[in-house]
Amino acid sequence: MERMSWLSKLTPRAGGQRAPRSASLQPPVTADPETCLMVFKNHWAQVLRILERRGSKPAPDDLSAVRNNTYQMLNLLAEDRPRGDGDRSQGDGDMACGPILEFVAAENLLEQLLCWHLQGDFTEERKVEQLKLYEMLISQARQPLLRHKAVLTPLLRLLSVCAEPASAPLENSLVLLLNQLCVSVAREPAILELFFHSHTDQGPANLIIFSLLIPFIHHEGARGQQARDALLLIMAMSASNRTVAQSITDNSYFCPVLATGLSALYSSLPRKIEVRGDDWHFLRREDWIGVSSLVLFMNSLEFCNAVIQVAHPLVQKQLVDYVHNGFLVPVMGPALHKTSVEEMIASTAYLDLFLRSVSETALLKTFLRFVLLHRHDNATILDTLVGRINSNSRLCMVSLSLFRTLLSLNCEDVMLQLVLRYLLPCSHVMLSQKRAVRDLDIYGKTAAKFLSLIPRCCRPESPPPPPDREEEPPSRARAHGSPGADAPPAPKPSTPSRLSFFMRQASAAPPEAAAPRSPGPPAGSPPCAGPRDEVAELDRNYLEYLRDARRSIDRCAWACRVWSAPYDGEDPRAPGPPPDPDSPPARPPGPPTPRTKKRGLPEEGAREVLGGSLGGDEPGVGGSGPDPRDGGTLVNGAHTAAEPGRPEGDVVVKKVRRSPQGEGEGNEGAPNGAPQAQPPSWEPLPSVDSLLEELLARAPAEPPGTGVSIETFTEELREIEAEMRNGGVGGPLAAPPEPPEPPLSREEEEAFASFAALPEGDAGAGRVPSRPPDPLAQVVASPPRAVGPPPSQPFTGPFVSVLFGKLENMPHNSLYVNFLLTGLVAQLACYPQPLLRSFLLNTNMVFQPSVKSLLQVLGSVKNKIESFAASQEDFPALLFKAKKYLIARGRLDWAEGPGATPALRRPDTLARSRKPSLGELLLRHANSPTRARHAAQLALQGLRDGGLQPLPPLAPPARHGEALRVRNAVYCAVIFSEFLKELAAIAQAHAVTSPFLTEPPEE
Amino acid sequence: MNTFWSMSTGSVRKRPDAEEKTLSGELRTSPLRASTKKQLPSIPKNAVPITKPASPAASSQSTNGTHASYGPFYLEYSLLAEFTLVVKQKLPGVYVQPSYRSALMWFGVIFIRHGLYQDGVFKFTVYIPDNYPDGDCPRLVFDLPVFHPLVDPLSGELDVKRAFAKWRRNHNHIWQVLMYARRVFYKIDTTSPLNPEAAVLYEKDIQLFKSKVVDSVKLCSSHLFDQPKIEDPYAIIFSPWNPAIHDEAREKMLTQKKTEDQHCKSMHVSGLSWVKPGSVQPFSKEEKTMPT
Repeated sequence: MERMSWLSKLTPRAGGQRAPRSASLQPPVTADPETCLMVFKNHWAQVLRILERRGSKPAPDDLSAVRNNTYQMLNLLAEDRPRGDGDRSQGDGDMACGPILEFVAAENLLEQLLCWHLQGDFTEERKVEQLKLYEMLISQARQPLLRHKAVLTPLLRLLSVCAEPASAPLENSLVLLLNQLCVSVAREPAILELFFHSHTDQGPANLIIFSLLIPFIHHEGARGQQARDALLLIMAMSASNRTVAQSITDNSYFCPVLATGLSALYSSLPRKIEVRGDDWHFLRREDWIGVSSLVLFMNSLEFCNAVIQVAHPLVQKQLVDYVHNGFLVPVMGPALHKTSVEEMIASTAYLDLFLRSVSETALLKTFLRFVLLHRHDNATILDTLVGRINSNSRLCMVSLSLFRTLLSLNCEDVMLQLVLRYLLPCSHVMLSQKRAVRDLDIYGKTAAKFLSLIPRCCRPESPPPPPDREEEPPSRARAHGSPGADAPPAPKPSTPSRLSFFMRQASAAPPEAAAPRSPGPPAGSPPCAGPRDEVAELDRNYLEYLRDARRSIDRCAWACRVWSAPYDGEDPRAPGPPPDPDSPPARPPGPPTPRTKKRGLPEEGAREVLGGSLGGDEPGVGGSGPDPRDGGTLVNGAHTAAEPGRPEGDVVVKKVRRSPQGEGEGNEGAPNGAPQAQPPSWEPLPSVDSLLEELLARAPAEPPGTGVSIETFTEELREIEAEMRNGGVGGPLAAPPEPPEPPLSREEEEAFASFAALPEGDAGAGRVPSRPPDPLAQVVASPPRAVGPPPSQPFTGPFVSVLFGKLENMPHNSLYVNFLLTGLVAQLACYPQPLLRSFLLNTNMVFQPSVKSLLQVLGSVKNKIESFAASQEDFPALLFKAKKYLIARGRLDWAEGPGATPALRRPDTLARSRKPSLGELLLRHANSPTRARHAAQLALQGLRDGGLQPLPPLAPPARHGEALRVRNAVYCAVIFSEFLKELAAIAQAHAVTSPFLTEPPEE
Repeated sequence: MNTFWSMSTGSVRKRPDAEEKTLSGELRTSPLRASTKKQLPSIPKNAVPITKPASPAASSQSTNGTHASYGPFYLEYSLLAEFTLVVKQKLPGVYVQPSYRSALMWFGVIFIRHGLYQDGVFKFTVYIPDNYPDGDCPRLVFDLPVFHPLVDPLSGELDVKRAFAKWRRNHNHIWQVLMYARRVFYKIDTTSPLNPEAAVLYEKDIQLFKSKVVDSVKLCSSHLFDQPKIEDPYAIIFSPWNPAIHDEAREKMLTQKKTEDQHCKSMHVSGLSWVKPGSVQPFSKEEKTMPT
């Protein structure tokens, strides 16, 4: 007993728990190794006496005696130092064993101990004890122990005993020990060999550490994390050790477990993402971090990613294959094709999240391969997703977000499948134009054209003040020291100083922002600035668009340098014999000059052109449609007739109509008598009128120039906000996804119509009654149409056609759809490949008559907006209001997070960072009501900080459908104008993309 | 030649980090690396779209006047695009730099490496008409009148018009003018000269012509370190070798290549491609070449 107490002084650690090493350092150093060995032997003698008492069942006293002695012994063993350790000159390679270890090996003491335990009733409790002891031993040993059979063999035996599923404490200890083993092995990879060579009950060459860890891969909490960390260590070792890699791939279930585990975890994800904000469109971290099932999934996905990052290529490949065949194809594929819209939304949002989260190229490749090439029900995932853009607003938004993610990858394969392969044959341009594909517009003609499409009703009432002539210009450079410049042809007003120009651009911004504007938003102007000033600033933000465009294009061009080809019309060549581009249209080949054709209809008079060439004709309706060749079958706007003989791959655009084409053109577009005429339906109902009156009463009354008090402003915003929310498709939380009776928003109607292929004409409210009972069922049930032009006709692909179709419908889209949509098109326009650039941005190109150009689409939107504005008396007031709202919103976003929104006018950032409603995202299965409350509080806080108070949704008045329609159109007018500026800036920036792009553009 | 020429100190000092972020990071890319020969400093951040066309009406687009306010952007961007084209041409021995005050005025220098004018270093200025691209061709004026049949002995102006009788937008570009300016020193043309004396000597007394050229080259070299004729922060200034400034700059140029490679590897913002060159099938590249 006396000795015991001495011993406990020697090793003052309590309870076998790890003490920091430094704490235990002191006493042993002073202890004489010989003494320690003696003490150790003494303990062993006591244990041995009990061990040798064979036959009889060990008494409880025996057990505790063994336990205590073992504990002391193992502590001594841990403290044992190799002989000659004093001088430390030897590397740790050939150190001689310490005296205790030598003794342990000679006696095979650990083995004897374990045998004794195994003979008896080896309860879980005892197992846990042993595991803990070994864990302590391994983690604290001062010499490499694992390389000694006397330690390794009993350890492996113990592990194999613990292979069966067990209680949580046992599993915890087990995982901890395994983790410790992996750490040791990682430190001394040679040991790994020993693990292979030791034959255990588990069979030959089986890495038992490994097989024991695998079941914990997907566990949550610390245990799962430790197991994954441990596995990752082994994976990292496999990178340089083919044997390990092979053992993992050939003799373990690691990869299948990991991959199929994803499937299991996926199946427990919420099927439905319930959100309140009508602008929610993608899962952000703060959205999912509180949803345990999603966290679990993401942990495992991150683990996959990490494994692929560190593992041997063999493991990498096997895992990637399993992810494809064990998760993506059997689970993700069907999930994306679920029949309920809610599930489609959820699975699309998940896929988007996964794509954004995966960073390893090999894993990303698998995901992309799945998206691009895998066929489910005869259509590639990609085609299905493209088709979804055309659907009801939430699904559309989620799909748009997904494509934003895809486009942001700058992946050649994606772009090839989405757009480029349709442009490669160059059949969309007139033969004579093929060479013009590479032309760069260096004089800003395209930009001018885009800008000219800004609807008249949206242009600043008075043109921006002319350059300030009073400002003292710097001495005219040209007159200065230029010998021949004495007589310039005609004296002209001089150049204003650069600085002053910037001052004007920066407008209300603080002076120091005048020259280099930091990425702060234009909202950087003080919040108390008069709203008129702010709104007016929208008219002057072109410089920022130019800057953004330049940055985006540079970044994109930089990223695309890894592509296999320039896509300039020459390289690569289109596969197969190029279709004869001039055969389908009855039109003669265009004139050889690339000069502008009046397709873009910048101004008046173009309407006729539009009306003539695009005039409504619904193929198959009444047979009265004009000859399809006359431009009716605008092919990239999708051909409505099913084409069974189409080449594979071009499926799925369910139906892209050229949306109410007639709107701008009056009624001539309705040969079938359908009420296609837009103006009448734009006529606000009296009730709407009054509602709006009420809502907007204050705005026009403000004397221009006077600042409005923040309170008033806030009040107004609240109302608008409430109104927005109210009309939002998302509806209140508990609402069933699609209430059968209440009138749907126009947008849903539109979306439905496009799905269900109703006759184009009844776009107005009048068609509601004719709605079939369950539109969604129909949507889903309607077989995917093979849509496209006859093979001989040029077709620019389903993606372009869906986007164009949706764009054309801009006035009816919700604000958020338009944010995302225009953002996506802008993203597309930033790609530097001449084929794509010329298709979208070269307004001089002459396309085949059946191919619709972006310019045409925008022209038709312009006309729609203008005719809407003409029908809406208080349009200017509404417009002003809308701008104010958007600006305030932008500021709100900006105020919330640093680096959140660079600039308010940027459509996608605007939509993206809408925290107040996004933060409220509540997943149905979110297990914790506290979390929900917390989220709501956060959201509220956000609103408060932004100076806004949320209002509970008003009870929807029957007329709100109309109000929504008006509101959408007004917002559209704002977004559309900004979008045109953005496109113009992009067009200009293409001409000046730096030839020095050999270094990455700055973030 | 052991003179290390550098852009005006102005252009170097004018770009403290604070300004780096300004407008669109215009050409912030260091030009040094595209071609190690070209050493144009970046276009100043805060100097981009300023050059107003003299009158809004002159800006090519705004027929209806509504968008006159965008006019300056068109002109400025057109010139920037021209500059971009110049850089892409990589004309040997020709360097230009738009002035700080007006994008319509470019400073340049040309190094002649062979032929009669070998070792010539001629500074010049390009004047672009402000109704560009619809006006006359740009003018090119040497700081010192080089002895050359096509260079006006008084004003130093090069006869550009003979090559570009009519300036056609879309067809004619400023790099062509620069290329022409370089060419005249290698291929001498004596028809309808601006400097008849030079023309006659070239035809009749090539030896005397040569010695006059040598004198002219020497004269230009002797004025190399003069203050620039036009005061402008971005004027091209030569200075004697100054280790304090130039050593570091040279070091940077020489090491640029390496860091670039490292950069490429560590670069995160990279696109993806699994398309085999020449193929238009996605994922057609063999596995082993898979990017990692």
